[in-house]
Amino acid sequence: MKKTCALFSLLVFLTAGAVFGQVEKPSDLKFPELKYDPPAPNSMRTVFASGLRGFVQEDRRLPLVNVTALIDFGRLYDPADKVGLAELLGASLIKGGTKTRTGSEIEDRLDFLGGSLSFFSPGERISTLSLSVMSKDLDDGLALFFDVLMNPEFREDAVRLEKARLIEGLRQANDQPAAILSREYERVLYGDHPLTRRPTRKSYEGLTVPDLKSCHGRFFFPRDIVLAVSGDFSKAALKKKIDRIIAPWKNRPSDIPKLSRDFPPVEPGVYFIQRPISQGYISLGHLGLEDTHPDYHAVQVMNFILGGGSFTSRITTKVRSDEGLAYNTGSRFAYRWGFPGTFSGYVQTKSSTVGYAVSLILKEFKRIRTEPVTDEELDTAVNYYLESFADNFQTVQATTLSFANLELAGKPLDYYARYRDRIKAVTRDKVLEAARTYIHPDQAAIMIVGDWEPCNKGGEKFPGPLDKFGKVRKIALIDPLTGEPVKAP
Amino acid sequence: MKRIAFRLCLLLAAAVFARGGSLVLDVREHVLPNGMKILMVPRPGVPRVVCHVYYKVGSINERPGITGIAHLHEHMMFKGTRVMGVTDFERNDEINRKIDEVMNRLYRERFWKPDGGDAEKLAAWQKEYEELVKAEKPLIIKDDLWTVYMKNGGTGLNASTGNETTGYYVTLPSNKVELQMLLESDRMMNAYYREFYSEKDVVMEERRLSENRPGFLFGEQVNASFYAASPYSWQVLGWMDDLKKITRSDIKKFHDTYYVPNNCVAVYVGDFNPERIIALAETYFGRIPRAADVEPIRTYEPPQDAEKRLYGEGPAPTSLQLMFHTPPDGHADTAPLQVLATVLGSGGFGGGFMGRGGGGGGSGRLWKLLVRDKQMAVNASAFSRPQWYAGAFQFSAMPRLDKSVSLEDLEKEIWAEIENIKKDGVTVEELQAAKNRRESNFLRGLQSPMGLTSSIGRAELNRGWRALITDLEDIRKVTNDDIKGVAARYFVKDNGLAAVYRRKMGR
Repeated sequence: MKKTCALFSLLVFLTAGAVFGQVEKPSDLKFPELKYDPPAPNSMRTVFASGLRGFVQEDRRLPLVNVTALIDFGRLYDPADKVGLAELLGASLIKGGTKTRTGSEIEDRLDFLGGSLSFFSPGERISTLSLSVMSKDLDDGLALFFDVLMNPEFREDAVRLEKARLIEGLRQANDQPAAILSREYERVLYGDHPLTRRPTRKSYEGLTVPDLKSCHGRFFFPRDIVLAVSGDFSKAALKKKIDRIIAPWKNRPSDIPKLSRDFPPVEPGVYFIQRPISQGYISLGHLGLEDTHPDYHAVQVMNFILGGGSFTSRITTKVRSDEGLAYNTGSRFAYRWGFPGTFSGYVQTKSSTVGYAVSLILKEFKRIRTEPVTDEELDTAVNYYLESFADNFQTVQATTLSFANLELAGKPLDYYARYRDRIKAVTRDKVLEAARTYIHPDQAAIMIVGDWEPCNKGGEKFPGPLDKFGKVRKIALIDPLTGEPVKAP
Repeated sequence: MKRIAFRLCLLLAAAVFARGGSLVLDVREHVLPNGMKILMVPRPGVPRVVCHVYYKVGSINERPGITGIAHLHEHMMFKGTRVMGVTDFERNDEINRKIDEVMNRLYRERFWKPDGGDAEKLAAWQKEYEELVKAEKPLIIKDDLWTVYMKNGGTGLNASTGNETTGYYVTLPSNKVELQMLLESDRMMNAYYREFYSEKDVVMEERRLSENRPGFLFGEQVNASFYAASPYSWQVLGWMDDLKKITRSDIKKFHDTYYVPNNCVAVYVGDFNPERIIALAETYFGRIPRAADVEPIRTYEPPQDAEKRLYGEGPAPTSLQLMFHTPPDGHADTAPLQVLATVLGSGGFGGGFMGRGGGGGGSGRLWKLLVRDKQMAVNASAFSRPQWYAGAFQFSAMPRLDKSVSLEDLEKEIWAEIENIKKDGVTVEELQAAKNRRESNFLRGLQSPMGLTSSIGRAELNRGWRALITDLEDIRKVTNDDIKGVAARYFVKDNGLAAVYRRKMGR
């Protein structure tokens, strides 16, 4: 073995002009130092005509341009009597055409150019319109992009078709156990709130073209939109082009609805939804915090150790690696803009081990609150965040989008510049404090989607019944078409 | 439209597309003496390197009895080696030999005896096994590789098994690529398959997770029916019976056959100096001896000669699929089939219906015809899968139930459209738009370092990474006659399968 190594080292020396001593274990490796400063948002920040803000960065390596508009708009703002409005607006913004072009004309033109234009609502109050075109087609692309953003016409035939497709789509809302779980878990934690309202056939049917137009007028104007633009263009020329197109676009007073931040107390215990499947899909936890909170970094590090750090985390090690109970398990803090997010442990496991898996996760919730994490665990978590930091900026497109998101949510632009110092400041004590503040196993709602009999019966390591975890409430599955409980088959 | 000029520079093995003289894609190639290939795309700037290792092995290399083993083996590659994940290897090895011995006895009793074996014996051996597992625990460093990667800033840490290839992924800070070389070469040469039996439970849970997805089981049957002989007929997850019965020695044999340097490519994309990558690769991967070459799979799909139809009902949405056999990737008909799929099902407007259902986009011919104009479908798409040994072309549609459209109506409409294409092909605009789209999609793929790494790696294992470029050139040459030709050749009833699925009410 040693002989071969020496021989190879020699070969390496001869061919590449460098010698590397081959090591056996990662701990023997010595890495050269690496310094990295993140890009400065202010060097990309641009204010266009009418106060439209943007982050613009040239990237000439490929003949492509990416433009995304981030809009403070989404289903959260649907009026109580018009639930589904944002969804329908999203589906018909492009297909409904503009004052001068039909939806098909827009799509066919972009298709011919090999471009793409799409509208998404990744969060309940952030929507994006994204364009990608070859740089030679930039003028065409920008004209279509801003026409859709500024002048949508929501033509009746297209709106009618999209409405029908959305209603057909409702039929699928209960197909995936995971989708039922996440929807109902949020309903338990937030109660009846715009965050948890869902459209029905009736609410879709009541929506009209004037509703869509007035909704667009209310939320789509330059001061409440942030652009992220990257690719093969000259920044100065691009700014001129965009300024010229948007010159007629008028601002209006911001009209973001004020929504309640009070949520009803949640009764701890088991919430069970019956489905005839071989596994239980489980989320357990309670509300969390906002990512603007000063404790955010400590919570991230703490959750990495608890169940967010994949195989290095306690829940994954225990439930998946040690016990082989699940393919997918861990814990997460989900964040939402302007509201506390959710905290949840999660697992999908066969019915007979549902109780056992829940008990293991609850045990880890308790442990992280009572004993300090080890130095090694803290090191792994902190180093992960520090060493992988540059990943945020791996593409110019991702960088401009990250900055645009900060700007839209009103977060400080030096968020990334200060990020590593804040992670470094997390100590074992702060992790313990974060766990005690934000994890409350005694208040956890344990939501299970699965087959009641075998789940409740349990197995050898955890014989049922499930009321060992507290009061069991059977939750009726909602028929998404009507919003009423599904009738028993 | 102005064409982008591609040219191949063979000397430095650089694929170059010239635009104002600037280099955009520059793949550097190096072959180690043991046959392992190293491909590099330097991208100075952000100090990260995407590091992927691909093996030319997947579910098509399996046979009945060991289906699912490629994927199970991929899981085992995270369970430590002779070096990683263990405090005292000698003692650990001793225990594992005993575990193998007792589990062999247990499997023979349980699976070889028609009555399922003697319950008393099984319980005793199971207990013996559990004792041994308990004794092994203190010797194991849990998820060692994963922890080491993560604390060194490894992201995108994962692996995936497909029909044809298996990949191992990590993105690291650019000063730490040596860590990947050490750990990946260690996995290749010192694999040990620790905690094999409990990891099998995890994989069976993964299969159950899929089984609970509405439509999975029907889809599995459709695939199994579509292929009579080809190993594409089973899913990567494998059949549950095989998962239960696969042994640790099956895994060893599988590893020794396929996880060899001459069946493997490593790809690096990011901020690095290629000379240093080559030197590190020589040191770490270069220490592994070359092994016997791997024979390509033998069984191609024989001609079908009779129409197949499959009917099902269950908890998934009502839908129709028409599938046709097409030639393997690299055939002259691959490009026209790709262009045709783009014309019929192209889009990118919203990523298919509600994010599901694939390319049912808003500007494809099927969408315009069936969704927009006739209002018979919720979505409609076409997809061409040019697999390595047996291709497939697929039409999919979901009917408008609110308008009482039946699956039979939809099937008739799709067949009418197929006959139109056989006769007239597609329009000049459709043809050009499809070509433009494939070209711009290719460029878009280059934007993502991970996407680029994966395209290069997988392409390399089949027909070489340069196929990425030559395929695009083939796409440009496609004519309307080519399109009519492939439609006539492959879209015939006795070359295909119709899968008709209805949602069963009450579930």
